[in-house]
Amino acid sequence: MNRVAAPVSSIGLSQPLVDGPEKVTGRARYAADLASPQALVGRLLRSPVSHAEITALDTSAARRIPGVVAVITGDDCDETFGILPIAQNEYPLARGRVRYRGEPLAAVAAVDAETAQRAIDAIEFAYDELPAYYTAADARADGAVELHAERPGNIDRHAEFELGDVDGGFEAADLVREETYHCAEICQVQSEPHAVLADYDAERDRITVSPSTQVPYYVHLMLAKTLKMEKSRIRVVKPYIGGGFGCRTEALNVDLICALLARAAKGAVRIVASREETFITHRGRPETGLRLKIGLKQDGTITAVECHAVQRGGAYSGYGLVTILYNGSLLYALYDIEAIRYEGFRVLTNTPPCGAMRGHGTVNARFAFENLLDAMAAEMGLDAFAVRRANMLKAPTFTTNDLMINSYGLPQCLDWVEEASGWKERKGRLGPNRGLGMACSHYISGASKPVNWTGEPHATVHLKVDFDGSITLLTGAAEIGQGSSTVLVQCVAEVLGLDMSRIRIIAADSALTPKDNGSYSSRVTYMVGNAAIQAATELKRVLVEAAAAKLDARPEDVECLGEVYRAATQDEGLAFDEVVVAALAETGTLTVKGNYDTIPESHGGKKYRGAAIGGSMAFSYAAQAVEVSVDPDTAQITVEKVWVAHDCGKALNPLAVEGQVQGSVWMGMGQALSEETHYHKGLGITSNMLDYRVPTIVESPPIEVKIIESMDPHGPFGAKEAGEGSLSGFLPALASAVADAIGVRPVELPMTPDRLMRLMEKGGRSG
Amino acid sequence: MEYMPEFRLCAPASVDEAVGLAAADAGARYLSGGTDLVVNVRRGIERPAALIDLSAIGELKDIDEDDGGLRLGAGVVLRDLAENETLRRDFAAVAEAALAVAGPTHREYATLGGNLCLDTRCLFYNQSEWWRGANDYCLKKEGETCHVAPKGSFCFAAFSGDVAPALLVSGAEVELAGPEGRRRIPLAELYNDDGMDHLALKAGELVAAVHLPGAVAGVPSAYAKARVRGSIDFPLAGAAVALAMKGGGVEDLRVGLTAVGPRPFLVEDTERFADAPLDGAALDDLREMVRAQAQPMRTTTVAPWYRRRVAGNLARRLAAGLAAASP
Repeated sequence: MNRVAAPVSSIGLSQPLVDGPEKVTGRARYAADLASPQALVGRLLRSPVSHAEITALDTSAARRIPGVVAVITGDDCDETFGILPIAQNEYPLARGRVRYRGEPLAAVAAVDAETAQRAIDAIEFAYDELPAYYTAADARADGAVELHAERPGNIDRHAEFELGDVDGGFEAADLVREETYHCAEICQVQSEPHAVLADYDAERDRITVSPSTQVPYYVHLMLAKTLKMEKSRIRVVKPYIGGGFGCRTEALNVDLICALLARAAKGAVRIVASREETFITHRGRPETGLRLKIGLKQDGTITAVECHAVQRGGAYSGYGLVTILYNGSLLYALYDIEAIRYEGFRVLTNTPPCGAMRGHGTVNARFAFENLLDAMAAEMGLDAFAVRRANMLKAPTFTTNDLMINSYGLPQCLDWVEEASGWKERKGRLGPNRGLGMACSHYISGASKPVNWTGEPHATVHLKVDFDGSITLLTGAAEIGQGSSTVLVQCVAEVLGLDMSRIRIIAADSALTPKDNGSYSSRVTYMVGNAAIQAATELKRVLVEAAAAKLDARPEDVECLGEVYRAATQDEGLAFDEVVVAALAETGTLTVKGNYDTIPESHGGKKYRGAAIGGSMAFSYAAQAVEVSVDPDTAQITVEKVWVAHDCGKALNPLAVEGQVQGSVWMGMGQALSEETHYHKGLGITSNMLDYRVPTIVESPPIEVKIIESMDPHGPFGAKEAGEGSLSGFLPALASAVADAIGVRPVELPMTPDRLMRLMEKGGRSG
Repeated sequence: MEYMPEFRLCAPASVDEAVGLAAADAGARYLSGGTDLVVNVRRGIERPAALIDLSAIGELKDIDEDDGGLRLGAGVVLRDLAENETLRRDFAAVAEAALAVAGPTHREYATLGGNLCLDTRCLFYNQSEWWRGANDYCLKKEGETCHVAPKGSFCFAAFSGDVAPALLVSGAEVELAGPEGRRRIPLAELYNDDGMDHLALKAGELVAAVHLPGAVAGVPSAYAKARVRGSIDFPLAGAAVALAMKGGGVEDLRVGLTAVGPRPFLVEDTERFADAPLDGAALDDLREMVRAQAQPMRTTTVAPWYRRRVAGNLARRLAAGLAAASP
């Protein structure tokens, strides 16, 4: 037997996703599909009014309907929930007061949907209506009724900072311009509506919950709080997840209500939310009004920035304070800017609560910033690329607000986009109604301080090796379609030199897998990837030692060739299975682990309240050019082509990176072109996929992706974030292209045909 | 999507049998492709005791030559209409309109008859039972108030079929079958200017076929719709234009509009373009004429202002294109 082998490499090569076969063949089981024949159907009574004191909620008639097993209301849970320990002001089922139309009031578990709905219809809800506020301005007006007693003036958070000499910067500028921007509220509209299965074991007082979530661990914590159960009696098993984009980065009321219902029914209950209910559950990007001022010198350098932002947050805090802080802190870290004055208001209104949507907190501010910078460059006769190049950072560095930057591939992104798009030859020369625009963007690779600070490592990965020679990767990281399981398998396979097919992964079952904070803020590849590398390195050490003992060699002389371990002087060596047998002989089944923790330097600063928000181990960078045509008769924008370069440090899986970058661009395109929620007196009027217009394949332009590899010194194999950073640049690049095409510059999102026609006919601010 | 309530499903084999079933059950509704009706059933807007599925009736699926024109069975799916060579040659606007409906998967199921009998649409109507209840329902269904124009007693829900305006400019007639037998009426007479009651069908009547007259075959025509997305969306405004030119002047100009009111209609007064060339000034007049007659209300999220203006722009563009292409 020829045992001469070579380690197999999997990093840097395009790999199909490890859970792809299940998804494309329909074998993947989502929460709505999980086999549970005995599960009751859970349905919710939702508030028909925006803001009211609950005077009565009579469920007696509902309880008498045959087939109804349990009915619960706010009386059944007096614990609040919420993602941030300091801002938990939401009950799973409203208590005392309802604050938005569609807020859950009561829930029924019954033998089938019809019976459950009859019971819902039989619940009598009496209320005293309160004034309701659907805009941030109305909620902030003098004398407005407060939604929450502990939030005076309906201000959920007032964020502010001033760093550097802002006034001096404006004085030193050759051109200072100020503009206002408006970005409509948008929603994630992931493929899978919310669904959850909860199974209560009344004999043992235990519960197993399978929610459609990005954060099984945070759901676990909130289940314990709202059920008032010990965490050890709860098991959270993540099923397959049909996308999230941030609407599932916190425990949702349906997750908790389903568990409360299951306990009340002493059995299994499934809630499958309709698309409309998924819209109502919301957690999308808030409507944002921005006022932005930039000072620019004739050589293109930015001298000062002032930004004022108001976000309509909805009825509960959710991630609100984080969103309004990101909006300010990440004005930094893209360009070399010292002086920034920021003031942001997160406002509570009688609309569904917003959340942490892809590009969390950065997108609307980046739309405004790049849009204004572009307009000013045009006014000064400066090239858009040249203005960016005049403001490059130099890594390694810290920004004025203490964000740590060790890798910075933006210059290379700019070079490629400029070249690929034919910018120099084509900009301004595409003829009538056709234009080219560009913009830059960035994003964090995981928040360096988690929202729920416990002092534990950020990530832990276990590797189990048993008698059969199999390697099982155990992680709490939530695969939600983004490819996290694939990248973790790649990391382990690479370290061990094995083919990826050697490794089986189990992701996110609290009874089996180590705790993980979940899939949000682009943290998994960076943090869990590093933990996986550490675990694999430890496993390799154990295996090498076992091989050394067996081969009668010193460990440092043993060479790991993936499937073969040999001492340097020998030709034969041991097959992997033989090494495993040797290793297990001493200890039995092997479990090794790897941890990852961020370094304190990455935790952001202390120069202002909330300065930790924005702190990250690394930032991704992106530049993109967008070519459009505008139909002069319909004011319809067609995106003809996008060139996007994304610095992800190192593309661990170029195929997946390309998909993520295209997805980011595409999602930015939806927000820019057509997506927006509308409310009629607080009632979501676009809560379906016909009136909430996610682009179709017809709108999808060719998106040419260039991966830039800046090799981050702390990233796993040099990798950084890949799934969010390219989003926010699309919106201002589109505005820039539209300005190039028709001479008027959109400052409102989305750029729907009616808005654009008004701009074209009534005239707008020229670009 | 909400769960499907219970109803009886009948599958008649002939038009007579279908009409008989409908006559026997006042709570029954005809069902064809279901792309409009089934959505409304799931939303509780329609609560039929029975659905009479027309999809097994062979007669409804035929496209026949008819006295130089065409007889189109009402059960022909839109995909087949869009791909029919004769239609594309002789009644281009009809084929273009069929292709403009929704998305490819809808067109596999959705039928000609269904598109003509599409319920009128409004943001305050095409919502779930919970939503409509929370909003005190609306004039069109179960309520007292029109949320689009709260002071009036008129329902502005917009007819949103794409095919009707193309058939209108082609001089189409519809063949109806009902308890009292068959009758043939001009397509325009199928519609009432009332969002609550926009179809002039008698109880138990169904649209069996559409007749396109031989006299109009080959007259150049075209259809275009404004929408936010290039697929799926209903028209915000749709315009069909048929233009016959003779000796450098207009012989016959017809413009049909959809989605700008409760019914599709032919723009009035286009006769005044006759015998003159369709030059820039005439095209501008046509655009303003269309804008004046299009009266959309706030039944979608897109501003009525835009829908009125774009209706004029589309009609102008189509007419200009047809004029430029005419020998």
